[in-house]
Amino acid sequence: MSDRGGVVAAATGAEALSTELPVGRSAGWWGMVMFVATEATLFACLLGSYFYLRFQYGPTWPPAGIEAPKLLTPLVMTAVLVPSSLPVVWAERGIRQGQRWRLQSGLAATMVLGVTFLALQASEYAEKLTQFTMTTDAYGSLFYLITGFHGLHVMVGLTMIGWLLAASLRGGSFGSHRHERVRNAAMYWHFVDLVWVAILFTIYLSPRL
Amino acid sequence: MSTTTTPPPGVSAQDLARLAEHWAERPSLRGWFSTVDHKRIGRRYLVTAGFFFVLAGLSALVMRTQLARPEAGVVSPQEYNQLFSMHGTAMIFLFATPMLFGFGNFLVPLMIGSRDMAFPRLNAFGYWVFLFAGLFMWASLPFGAAPNNGWFAYAPLNQEQHNPGLHMDVYALGLLFLGISTTAASINFIVTALKLRAPGMSLNRVPLFVWAIVATAFMVIFALPALNADNLMLFLDRRFGTHFFDPSAGGNVLLWQHLFWIFGHPDVYIIVMPALGIVSAVLPAFTRRGVVGYPLIVLSIVSISIISFGVWVHHMFATGLPQLSYSFFSAASTIITIPSGIQIFAWLATMLLGRLVLRVPLLFVIGFVVTFVLGGFTGAMFAVTAFDQQVTDSYFVVAHFHYVLIGGAVFPMLAGIYYWLPKITGRMYHERLGRWAFWLVFAGMHVTFFPMHLYGLFGMPRRVYTYRSEPGWDGWNLVSTLGSYLLAVGLLLVLVGVVHAVRRGRPAPPDPWEGDSLEWSTASPPEPYNFPALPRVHSLHPAWDERTAESLGAGATADRILSDGRRTLVTSELDAHPERAVQMPESTLKPLVLAGALLIFFTSMLLAWYPAAAVAALAVVATIAVWLWPPRRPDEELGVTG
Amino acid sequence: MTTRPGPHARLTGGLLLWYGVLGGAVAWGVHVFAAWGLDELACAAGSERVAAVPLWQAVGLAVVIPALFTVGSLLVAALVWRRTRRAGEDDRAFGRSRMLAVVGVWSNLLFLAIIVLGGVAVLVLPPCQG
Ligand code: HEM
Repeated sequence: MSDRGGVVAAATGAEALSTELPVGRSAGWWGMVMFVATEATLFACLLGSYFYLRFQYGPTWPPAGIEAPKLLTPLVMTAVLVPSSLPVVWAERGIRQGQRWRLQSGLAATMVLGVTFLALQASEYAEKLTQFTMTTDAYGSLFYLITGFHGLHVMVGLTMIGWLLAASLRGGSFGSHRHERVRNAAMYWHFVDLVWVAILFTIYLSPRL
Repeated sequence: MSTTTTPPPGVSAQDLARLAEHWAERPSLRGWFSTVDHKRIGRRYLVTAGFFFVLAGLSALVMRTQLARPEAGVVSPQEYNQLFSMHGTAMIFLFATPMLFGFGNFLVPLMIGSRDMAFPRLNAFGYWVFLFAGLFMWASLPFGAAPNNGWFAYAPLNQEQHNPGLHMDVYALGLLFLGISTTAASINFIVTALKLRAPGMSLNRVPLFVWAIVATAFMVIFALPALNADNLMLFLDRRFGTHFFDPSAGGNVLLWQHLFWIFGHPDVYIIVMPALGIVSAVLPAFTRRGVVGYPLIVLSIVSISIISFGVWVHHMFATGLPQLSYSFFSAASTIITIPSGIQIFAWLATMLLGRLVLRVPLLFVIGFVVTFVLGGFTGAMFAVTAFDQQVTDSYFVVAHFHYVLIGGAVFPMLAGIYYWLPKITGRMYHERLGRWAFWLVFAGMHVTFFPMHLYGLFGMPRRVYTYRSEPGWDGWNLVSTLGSYLLAVGLLLVLVGVVHAVRRGRPAPPDPWEGDSLEWSTASPPEPYNFPALPRVHSLHPAWDERTAESLGAGATADRILSDGRRTLVTSELDAHPERAVQMPESTLKPLVLAGALLIFFTSMLLAWYPAAAVAALAVVATIAVWLWPPRRPDEELGVTG
Repeated sequence: MTTRPGPHARLTGGLLLWYGVLGGAVAWGVHVFAAWGLDELACAAGSERVAAVPLWQAVGLAVVIPALFTVGSLLVAALVWRRTRRAGEDDRAFGRSRMLAVVGVWSNLLFLAIIVLGGVAVLVLPPCQG
């Protein structure tokens, strides 16, 4: 069965076609997947609203009086948030092998990156608020709703991570046989990261296209 | 497991005693508030949704009384606005979906052969949130602050400057609050059906009702966020001065409408789909055969739940889209009728090929087919654009959607109530009383709503609190009103029947109908642990299947009895191979506390007590953190190396 | 095919099954979004072209590609259906695949019909007529 024809035949045989896939996931995993799916849809609706209002508005966007968003801060924010998923992955791998120190240090690193992100966002807000607010016009409303709602999600994610860290520091919580919650929180954190990429594209990059 | 030296198979008396010890909840006040048993929670959903149905129905009776004669003065225009808005909102959000989720909660674990839902505490939480959100919305009515802008709350009328007062804040916050419950329940249904099916119940052996509930839950997961986003923006617009729906500052009123119908169209199917699942569950028992074309019904359920997302532009006739882009959506709305038709024909074929047993549940199923098909027929008439523009916003529309909703949801629910009453309460209902109820409901429904087609065509607009005397209007309006009283009497008889059964009914045997699904293999009402031994499923109709019956009795093995602890079995996603036994949570008060904190949060937001809202939000976070806090375990058990 | 398929073949087979069941649905979703978005945005911008391509052709692509994808999915579903013919009472994995294959065949036909109807509209209607 080494030739190509054999491979195709094997993959399209009755047995291969009846492979059970997906299989063996836990209830908690599925629960988190569904939760993330519904949250992702919520963000899709908000971003969709952004594009809808933008295209209904007319040629100048952002509306007169508001300049197109600067890119430096958001790019730095991206550079902080997106890599913050790596320590979580590393931590999760660690606890699967029962290495508690990896769990703890990985989570701590992610906490630092996440808090940095929020601090950067706060400084960006401080600057923007002098220019326009949520009540200036629909653009302002969209900007603060979408970024603020994402910021709230970062905060929720950080709460989860902090909670895991606290539970792990207390001891007796996680190990190679029990790491489900770590994985679920990690999934949520990756999701928050990905949403940020979509927001970066929508709010910061798309007005320049 | 056949080669081990375990004690002889079958459930022993010791097993039963241990199961009872681990699962039973002592009757106490605390036990009442802290239960996580899916059967008690399901029952509560049914009763609470029934209560909201009564409130919404009474609102409708007041409206019909007002409209019986031209220029009557029973209620003021402002009161009338609140009545029809609360009637519509409550019927859709607080009655239809929760009622069907109540059936789902009670039945899904029984039908798939499990001991509870996948997340029992989340389930309890969902119920409390539903109850509180419903009370939150209804409580506004006595204060004259109820939603007053119709159930779909179009912009710009939902905006602060056009509609001051708390009315639409109650709507936005109430639905956001309720959305938590609906989403939680949906996730729970999906995971339960994926992971807790009895060994052997591969996807091709899953009961149609469970398919329907799962498809509904998927629709909720992907449709409800649109409504939540919409209501979030509405609340921000009204309270904090944003401009999402305000054209004078770059917003757009159509944004509300689009988002609403992205949710609203699937929502029609969210309401009807599980009800159709009830029909598929009831039919086998009263036709003495399986539903014809099982894979085709699964196909119809799955494809409807997908296509329903592609038809929302349907509701936006007057918006001047390019015709071409409109046609992509109308292609979907044309084709979606095919799977709906498949189901109807499959049921008709089942009835033709089977031996009919004409009991009350079957009567309601027949009433459903007649009414629903008529509603579908008037629906097809809307596809003619000219006709649609003629009757839009007239009573013709009101007639149409009551045929669809009462035919498609209420009749199947009533069939389900009579069918599962023996299982839920352990008592039989009174057959004669049930027949009377059926005929009164059926006649009342048609006498109320059929004339609405007529005076709708004669030009009577909907959502008017009164009307001038016009030829063709007065008489038929009076007929409608009389019909609605008849309908109310019929529904009252249903209630009397239920109370009578609970109080005086003959004790029900485990399987009074010789039904085909697993709930009939349990006691009536089921023990707290549902099954002494979890079944091993061998066919699509396990209760008609001897090998499955054997697996529950003499063939029961320790790996499916699991009497040492509060445990149930987790199986694989597609083919239900046993994976492992898992520990189920004990009863707890935390779900109630969490829901209470949310109630305080939403109430404070409504009344603009923001500091209180902040405290409540912190309480929410704290409760969740405590809820999930892991118990301390020894390192060896956890597997820690360093 | 007497040897048991290896892990690689199993993964491919499992994915193929889902392509056969859900391919049409996914293709239709992409089709609606792409065709509707293109038409709406181009017309709102007042032009009947997308870059250098006439609008009707661009929209046509958003019909043809998903349609082909659906046809592929239909063929796969039919293949699964034929291969699992010897599903017995007790081989529940085969029985399950076969049931999903039936669902796949019919649902792909439905979605193909929707996409083709959209294609007819592209041929018949001028792209920006209100
Ligand atoms: C029990 C008997 C019922 C009666 C007598 C009744 C009566 C009415 C009447 C008279 C209206 C029109 C108000 C107007 O346009 O001025 C109405 C509206 C409505 N009804 Fe019912 N109804 C009943 C049951 C139901 C049920 C079971 C549902 C849904 C599951 C439902 C959903 C609605 C909705 C969504 C509206 C539209 C509200 C709006 O205009 O925003 N009704 N009903």
